[in-house]
Amino acid sequence: MKIKEWLKTLTFYEILLGMKITMSHLLRYKPITIQYPHEKKPLPQNYRGMLALLKYDDETEKCVGCDLCEAICPSRVIRVVSSEVPGEPTKRYSKEYYMDMTRCLFCGLCVQACPVDALGMTREFEWAVYDKRNLQLDKQQLLAIGDRAFPVREKRIEFQHPNVAHFNVAFQSIPQKES
Amino acid sequence: MLDFGVRFALTVSQIGVVMVAVLLTVAALTLLERKVLSWMQDRMGPMEVGPYGILQPVADGLKLFFKEDIIPAGANRVMFMMAPVLSLVPALIGFAVIPFGPNWTVEIFDVEFKPFIISDINIGILYILAFTSIGAYGIILGGWSSNSKYSLLGGLRAAAQLISYELNVGLSIVGVLLLTGSLSMVAITEAQAGGFWNWYFFAFPFPQAIAFGVFIISAVAETNRVPFDLPEAESELVAGFFTEYSGMRFAFFFLAEYANMILVSCVATVLFFGGWQAPFTFLQGTGSFMWVSGIFWFAFKVSAFLFFFFWIRATLPRLRYDQLMRFGWKVLLPIAIGNIVLTAIFAYIFPGS
Repeated sequence: MKIKEWLKTLTFYEILLGMKITMSHLLRYKPITIQYPHEKKPLPQNYRGMLALLKYDDETEKCVGCDLCEAICPSRVIRVVSSEVPGEPTKRYSKEYYMDMTRCLFCGLCVQACPVDALGMTREFEWAVYDKRNLQLDKQQLLAIGDRAFPVREKRIEFQHPNVAHFNVAFQSIPQKES
Repeated sequence: MLDFGVRFALTVSQIGVVMVAVLLTVAALTLLERKVLSWMQDRMGPMEVGPYGILQPVADGLKLFFKEDIIPAGANRVMFMMAPVLSLVPALIGFAVIPFGPNWTVEIFDVEFKPFIISDINIGILYILAFTSIGAYGIILGGWSSNSKYSLLGGLRAAAQLISYELNVGLSIVGVLLLTGSLSMVAITEAQAGGFWNWYFFAFPFPQAIAFGVFIISAVAETNRVPFDLPEAESELVAGFFTEYSGMRFAFFFLAEYANMILVSCVATVLFFGGWQAPFTFLQGTGSFMWVSGIFWFAFKVSAFLFFFFWIRATLPRLRYDQLMRFGWKVLLPIAIGNIVLTAIFAYIFPGS
């Protein structure tokens, strides 16, 4: 037993074994890396990327300014300034809507909290910027992201009384985000 | 006067050819090393510059050339500027005695001229050993003059390591010198003529395979490469002795490392694997085109050694410092001395073989 180990040390047995492995990888060359900007890995179906605000198919905003997203956000990313729709005292909308994406941890709680499905998670992830102020998005930018990420919009269903704020809870299960 | 002029022109052009060849090989090596390394590690290596990244050395060179040259505050300016040159020049100067092809003499304008050896001096191998030891000064001074603790530690490590392993390189080649009876690189190559069984790795009275093992391990240690890259251990010393260097000075250290690698491969080829001799005499070719096969076999053997360097770099982790010292002094040194004793005994019993 001792002689065997001696021989192994003398002949660099372990080192040769390791060199055999590296050589086999060289001969059976099959890279496991990809050339990222040129080729991209397919994202998983439930990928949680950049947040976006959505619209109905008649170009009206879905957001009703309820502040639930702001309330549930664990990193305090979202700030909503809610106000009445002019002339319609029962309806509300978000006058201003800010997201500080430098703090966002992409948990998706705001999307689940939204009663009208006004928030969506896109599949965008290449949001590296030179100036981090570019990551503090306002409402227009978020709507623009929503426009380009979700071209197929949800239909507005008017089944409520016009004087009642519409919380379309049932919309949660309608699959409309095709991308 | 004309005689001197012709000799001067011929020698300068020969030096130019060898320098350009070595520097081009260095450029190719930087790419090839990254490629081979990444292939062994299931990666692709550089792929962006040119098709499959083959222009990467050009991009690297341009980048380093145009980078700002920073001399840190508190550095010893003279030493700091001298160190890269001091490490690059000895690495390049060693190629002067390497025989790249057959030992032919051509007469041009009544001047005797050896086209494949810059100078065949009779202490060739000593000359190479002497200059590679001077290269250590470049590393040590570079580490010391940077006024940085990482550089200083790297330089100190380099000093200890190079002294320890220089000794083993010197002792491991003594067997070959005993069998040849000459220090001239040309004489050593010519003594190994006629088939691979005459190469000193396999040669009759006492095969120098063990000496070759000691030599190649010490050579890896002398060129500061993995697994003996303690002077530039990234995980401990940022970049070791050239932490504070940037731009062209950094490039000089880089060139020196690769040129040293090539030089060591050349020396291993000449001493143990017959230099430009083909493994079988019929592969050597005859007549005035023998030099083509000579240079081919030389380049082939050198590239095999260079590939070996890449290979062990992809395989082995770095040694701990005390292990490195123990291995050098307690393992390699006795083996090298034992090899000298045995070779001397065998050379005495079988004289003239």
